[in-house]
Amino acid sequence: MALFKKKTVTDESYYLASQWSLMWRKLKKHKLARFSLGLLLILYLSALFADFIAPYGLEEFSSLYKNTAPTRVYWTDEDGHLSRPYVYKLQKINDKKTFKVIVSEDTSEKYYISFFVPGIEYKLFGLIPTDMHLYGLVNEQGEVDRSARINIFGADSTGADIFSRILFGGRVSLTIPFVSAAISFFLGILLGGISGYFGGVVDNVIQRIIEVLSAIPSIPLWMALSAAIPPGISVSAMYLYITIILSFIGWTGLARVVRGKFIALRKEDYVMAARLAGVSDFKIIVKHLVPGFLSYLIVDLTLGIPGSILGETSMSYLGLGMKAPATSWGVLLKETEDLVSVAQCPWKMIPLIFVIITVLAFNFLGDGLRDAADPYK
Amino acid sequence: MNNETASKETILEIRDLKVNIKTDEGTLTAVRGVNLTIKKGETLGLVGESGCGKSLTSKAILGINDKKCKAEGEIIFDAENLGRVNLLSLNPRGKEIRSVRGKQISMIFQEPMVAFSPMYTIGNQINEATLLHITRDKKKAREISLDVMKKVGIANAEKRYDQYPHEFSGGMLQRALIAMALVCSPRLLIADEPTTALDVTIQAQILELMKSLQKDFGMSILFITHDLGTVARMCDRVAVMYLGRIVESAPAVEIYKNPQHPYTRGLIGSVHKIGTKAQERLFSSEGTVPLALNLPAGCGFYDRCSRRIDGVCNVYDPQLVDIGQEHQIACFACTGCPYGKGGKEEKANE
Amino acid sequence: MLKYIGKRMLLFIPTLIIISVVIFFIIQLPPGDYVTSYVAALSAEGETFTAEDIAQLRLQFGLDDPWFVQYFNWVKNIVTRGDFGYSFEYGRSVWSVIMDRLYLTLAVSFVILVFQYGVSLPIGIYCANHQYSVGDYALSFIGFIGTATPNFLLAIIIMYVVYVNTGEVYLGLFSTEMLQNGMRWEYVPEFLGRCLIPLIVIGTSGTCGIIRTVRAQMLDEQARQYTLTARAKGCSEATITYKYCLRAALNPVVSGMAGSLRTIFSGSTVSAIVMNLAIQGPVLLTALKSQDMYLAGTIVLIQAVLVLVGTLLSDIALAWLDPRIRFAERG
Repeated sequence: MALFKKKTVTDESYYLASQWSLMWRKLKKHKLARFSLGLLLILYLSALFADFIAPYGLEEFSSLYKNTAPTRVYWTDEDGHLSRPYVYKLQKINDKKTFKVIVSEDTSEKYYISFFVPGIEYKLFGLIPTDMHLYGLVNEQGEVDRSARINIFGADSTGADIFSRILFGGRVSLTIPFVSAAISFFLGILLGGISGYFGGVVDNVIQRIIEVLSAIPSIPLWMALSAAIPPGISVSAMYLYITIILSFIGWTGLARVVRGKFIALRKEDYVMAARLAGVSDFKIIVKHLVPGFLSYLIVDLTLGIPGSILGETSMSYLGLGMKAPATSWGVLLKETEDLVSVAQCPWKMIPLIFVIITVLAFNFLGDGLRDAADPYK
Repeated sequence: MNNETASKETILEIRDLKVNIKTDEGTLTAVRGVNLTIKKGETLGLVGESGCGKSLTSKAILGINDKKCKAEGEIIFDAENLGRVNLLSLNPRGKEIRSVRGKQISMIFQEPMVAFSPMYTIGNQINEATLLHITRDKKKAREISLDVMKKVGIANAEKRYDQYPHEFSGGMLQRALIAMALVCSPRLLIADEPTTALDVTIQAQILELMKSLQKDFGMSILFITHDLGTVARMCDRVAVMYLGRIVESAPAVEIYKNPQHPYTRGLIGSVHKIGTKAQERLFSSEGTVPLALNLPAGCGFYDRCSRRIDGVCNVYDPQLVDIGQEHQIACFACTGCPYGKGGKEEKANE
Repeated sequence: MLKYIGKRMLLFIPTLIIISVVIFFIIQLPPGDYVTSYVAALSAEGETFTAEDIAQLRLQFGLDDPWFVQYFNWVKNIVTRGDFGYSFEYGRSVWSVIMDRLYLTLAVSFVILVFQYGVSLPIGIYCANHQYSVGDYALSFIGFIGTATPNFLLAIIIMYVVYVNTGEVYLGLFSTEMLQNGMRWEYVPEFLGRCLIPLIVIGTSGTCGIIRTVRAQMLDEQARQYTLTARAKGCSEATITYKYCLRAALNPVVSGMAGSLRTIFSGSTVSAIVMNLAIQGPVLLTALKSQDMYLAGTIVLIQAVLVLVGTLLSDIALAWLDPRIRFAERG
């Protein structure tokens, strides 16, 4: 039968697979979604291991390196032979004629890039004290020299390594949307469920509130709410506030979906069948209603995360969110506030690439999940 | 009746039609070499289970299959304006095929509820065909459309003309759909399970309507169904399709009296006849239609067949063989295997 | 239809009340009030205030009352006298501060709205008709990047690119000459050029969203049975696309229109701060920071009310477009 492409596996299991394994199977086929999932994993892992991967700690900076471009890495020595990669230290030179301070490379000594070098002390996962960093510089004698710095993405206005700050910023920027999504999820299911299941006056009130909240443009609303954060609070409290503010809007869309699904599913025959069989209301909700649309909720959530990432970035950017010394991608991007700083230090835009990649990855993953969750595809 | 139709001229001839569908898993051939002829004024029934390729075949005639589907072979149609033309050779988006669609060959679909756009009135949608093919004069077109609506039994046609599909019942929508198909007096009408979605009483009405309209308009009908009961009522000849192939083809009377292919016998056995005793069990074919992607070699019906011959039916591919007047069948168990039992190295399916 | 509109109008009133309460509540949430930040600002410059001064100021602005009393007075004045309160920062009525920029804000928002739909409808239709073609992929890719970039940063990137290529810095909608000499005809081309960047920056995220909606909707509609019926009838592909699919695909697009207005307001707020546009975004930010609450509250209220009115209008348009809704409401 040359007409047919033969498949040796008779996929009887296909008909018997559970909803989740089916979803997973379809998701694996969606190349872009799979790629995005991998990318997100890498991003989250690097945020988790930020202390280790970053060569410098959050509060390490060098005024010598203020606003300097990405450190140039040399692969060949003076004679043009391939060499172990090395960098030069920067030095300040006072130009006697123009009275300008010029920062240039001090080519007198090479600093080699080395892996697993000791640096600033930290606690891995907040538990294991260590000073090991993924990479760092050693001088020609093989000793760790902390006066030379390697900033692969350049340095910011305080002279801190942007790469390290991106990793630490990821801890905030990548988790805030996640936590706020979790809060939205909870609120959405709860309020949407109440609204859909009970109906009547409760439903009406919740619907009006949702309508109101979704009529106020989100950034002005976020701005107004963040303005309410009392000044001078701790970083973790700030984190909590911002998370709550971001989830303030997220839940409304979700609640609407849940409510709609509840109302639609309530009329389904299988729910009626369960009710006739004497299943309790609570069990009907948990066992029959929620699984019926959980996959949709997860998709909705994944697609909602990019919004919170952008929201966090906007707020920090306006100075209404996280503030230095705490760091997030929005805080980092605050340095690109005006045209002059972008024109002089274009590398300060690098955090933006991380924002875009993350947002895109969540979008693609969400799209993939949506396709996978659709039983008719 | 058989002799009458045999002498009539052919209006449509399908030769070795194949339809390939691109899927994520690979290309599957859902229609695997179908041959059919339809004569002027006759009704040909195309019978088979869901997924056997009936609908794909019918849509291939009009060239309105999905983009993912590719049809090969020849579909020769005796067109008024183009003469005898291979419909598959025409550009599926071109003017020529569009002058055939709706005007000379029209189609009635399975589910009338979704066959109309909810955005426009029924009259608007029926009238569209009239305006495309018959007259540009809107007033005239409206009269023609109203006339056909009355003919198909839509009461109060003037009022109904300006109503939207959601204001129609299922049966009424099917009538409207038939009106839309007939408004240009086509030479061939393809009815793709026109009564499946309807109540039994409405089904009977619609079938009677189609029969009487066929007399009035003198058209041929390709009647697609999975229901042998309707076939008996409607058709002159019947072709039974299984897994993308015609497995048996005969005049309607013959197929009821003298079914040959095990699959056809199974189908006829599964029709509940009046007089069947309660204790007698209805025939039900074992198993399900295999997925066309992982199709084994040999006869497609092998796995489910009660008369299968191991070493023959799972090795060779049966071809249609004449076994009587206009009666053809593709089954080794009935006609014997031309390759001999046990088979030699020469394989039919290569 | 009239009954439907009437019913929607009635529902509008409670929503309006709730929305004003919510906004006022949020705006007065920050600890302290305008006097606190005012005193703090002036103290930093060396002025001294006695406790009596402060109490006097509070009394003058009515800031000692509980928030709902302040809210009640605010609403009372809006309803009875059209008075939206007093802007502490500007030292005049909120309404006059808003009027300075209201027309420009509305004009900018409206132009962006038109731009968004003007661009995204044809692109969405093209992408759906040429699904998986190079053009579709390219446009979808740009669209994704557009939605993934915060638009205020897009503003900086575009301004940077323009700066690198032309050496000019475009900030604001009007050049200094325009402001000095007033608008003249010869400035029109430059003004339009200056409009382009905000248009792209604020419009992009919304535009990309609409393109995706239109594309998905068109694909959905194309898969429907009635396109097959139309094709079997002999309709041309153009008829199928425009008469059937587009008409049906428009519904969700129309119902999303109010949402677009909301994203425009939202996007323009930050972008305007970056680009120094004389619209309400920057005013809102400073008002929030200095706790100039009536000004901030009124701006957010106006935006929200505009979105609500937009929702109402698009719902009515939807009912008019879709016979199913039209008839359900009639019967």
